[in-house]
Amino acid sequence: MKTTRWLWYWLAACSLLSTVVLLTGLGMVLNDLKAVPAVSETKPSPSAPSETTSEERVSLGNFKEIRIVALGDSLTKGTGDATGKGYVRQVVDGLKKEFDKPVQLLNNLALNGMQTSQLGERLSNDSGYQYAVKSANLILFSIGGNDLFLSARARMEKKEWAMLGMDELEQDMEETLGRFRSIIDQLYELNPSAKIVYMGLYNPFYDLDNLRIASLNMQQWNKEAYAVIHPYPNMMMVPTFDLFEGRIGEYLSSDHFHPNHEGYKRIAGRMLEALD
Amino acid sequence: MRKLPALVQNEVLKLWLKKRFVVIVLILFILIPIFTYAEHKVVSNHREHFADWRNQILQQIADLENTLSSDRIPEEWKRSRRVAVQQLQYYLNHDINPSEPSGVQFSREFLSNSITLFIPMLVLAMGSDIVSGERTTGTIKMLLTRPVKRWKILLSKLCALTLYVSLTIAVTVILCYLISGFVFGYGGWITPVLTGFRMEGAVIDSSSVHTVPQWRFLLMQAGLCWFSAMIVAVLGLMVSVLIRSTAASLVTMMSAIIAGTILSSMSSSWRSAKYLFSVNLGLTGYLEGTPPPIEGMTLPFSLIILAMWGAAGLFVSFRVFTKGDILN
Repeated sequence: MKTTRWLWYWLAACSLLSTVVLLTGLGMVLNDLKAVPAVSETKPSPSAPSETTSEERVSLGNFKEIRIVALGDSLTKGTGDATGKGYVRQVVDGLKKEFDKPVQLLNNLALNGMQTSQLGERLSNDSGYQYAVKSANLILFSIGGNDLFLSARARMEKKEWAMLGMDELEQDMEETLGRFRSIIDQLYELNPSAKIVYMGLYNPFYDLDNLRIASLNMQQWNKEAYAVIHPYPNMMMVPTFDLFEGRIGEYLSSDHFHPNHEGYKRIAGRMLEALD
Repeated sequence: MRKLPALVQNEVLKLWLKKRFVVIVLILFILIPIFTYAEHKVVSNHREHFADWRNQILQQIADLENTLSSDRIPEEWKRSRRVAVQQLQYYLNHDINPSEPSGVQFSREFLSNSITLFIPMLVLAMGSDIVSGERTTGTIKMLLTRPVKRWKILLSKLCALTLYVSLTIAVTVILCYLISGFVFGYGGWITPVLTGFRMEGAVIDSSSVHTVPQWRFLLMQAGLCWFSAMIVAVLGLMVSVLIRSTAASLVTMMSAIIAGTILSSMSSSWRSAKYLFSVNLGLTGYLEGTPPPIEGMTLPFSLIILAMWGAAGLFVSFRVFTKGDILN
């Protein structure tokens, strides 16, 4: 009888105590519901490590470790690659083999369907994007394809490609180029010491007779984009248009727009060849 | 009135001697290490792939956004993912790590995952035969022939149940902290946590978002857990009064609760389901800011609905228990 009495005291004490504590918690919730404190809108921009070697030539060989961030549209995301690697992961794998130092893919922030306007907005407003760009020392990106494709498709609803007034398309391209220029400026401003690689565009419709001519527009874009990138010594552009002209069946995925694993492998191979 | 404490003591000891509580502690002792191990795997996987938590959150946002552009994903899922994106973005903008692994963080996670199903189950395991068990064994006649009012007997059972509900939740939190702390460390008490997200459709209203220290957040969660567990206990008591067979009353309550979790995941198409008690059990989601199972549900709404169910349950059980005939 004595033990049960002690048991009862213990049980009662513990359970009453926990009831009181839990009721306090519930009270806090109710209290919290009433009070609507002002949010302190502090935006501490996290200081990211970046090697300030803007004076000397940017070369991967000089980095202690390679930290990669990928930005842009579905080409960077790797859409169409059944293995999910895209060119980004294949570049990472290639760099791992080539360099005897740690290689890490920090982020692949590419979004399907991203356009220049969206990327520009994120780079200027999204502190997360800025953090990623600042903390990388190799940035791979692709952009512009969706802008051009959508502008062409909107015009095409009305007429054949060959009949398209080139000036209409050129006007769209001018605007896209303006946004591209500001993206490049922002990237340089955020991280002048990183190696930045831009993937040139290709014409996925080269094998369609009536759309083959679009390659000329594509080339014009590549030329203009190269002119934008050229002044920056830490940036480079890797052309891809020639890969897909003869071998569309082999290198494009079933959506006839994105490369497949083999296609991405060739793109990655080009980048690896160009990166020093 | 002097008899009530003695009656409560009697009920508490009866429940103790049935060894239910020991079983619950044993279950927790087996489950928590398993979840700790799983969480440990997740954490070490993240450590391997990401330089720091900001990169991890960024990647999470990018992945969520990529699924948003797919037409294959149903609109309701997109709604919750959009909310998740905004929330992660908010954490990122304020430089707060939403899930820094620690003992306290694990307990918090465990509570929020177990409030809709696991804790109600534990409560039912304890209390679903509190009246019907006496009928099955026949001891109810002994109890009711004593010179004690019937409502006092039921009240003492309710008090005993309340004490055990509190004890269960307290033990759950303490065991979570002690066991997972062994792996993740015993810190994390003052880590800031964001709370107060309000949903308007797929958009987060962040005007009332504020940070609370994690210990306070955990305490608030435990309080909410206690509340929803108490409602389950009261309803279990009612079913136990109404249905003579213990097995049947257990099954009734369990199926009601499981139906709630299924309805929550189907959501939206049947909007008046939000008046069912089991859809409202996931109270901790409101603190974290996960979208409610059905649009338009808020924390006060759920609290009121649950309180009404609880009050109705109490009314029915006392009414039936004091007025009903004891046959068999």
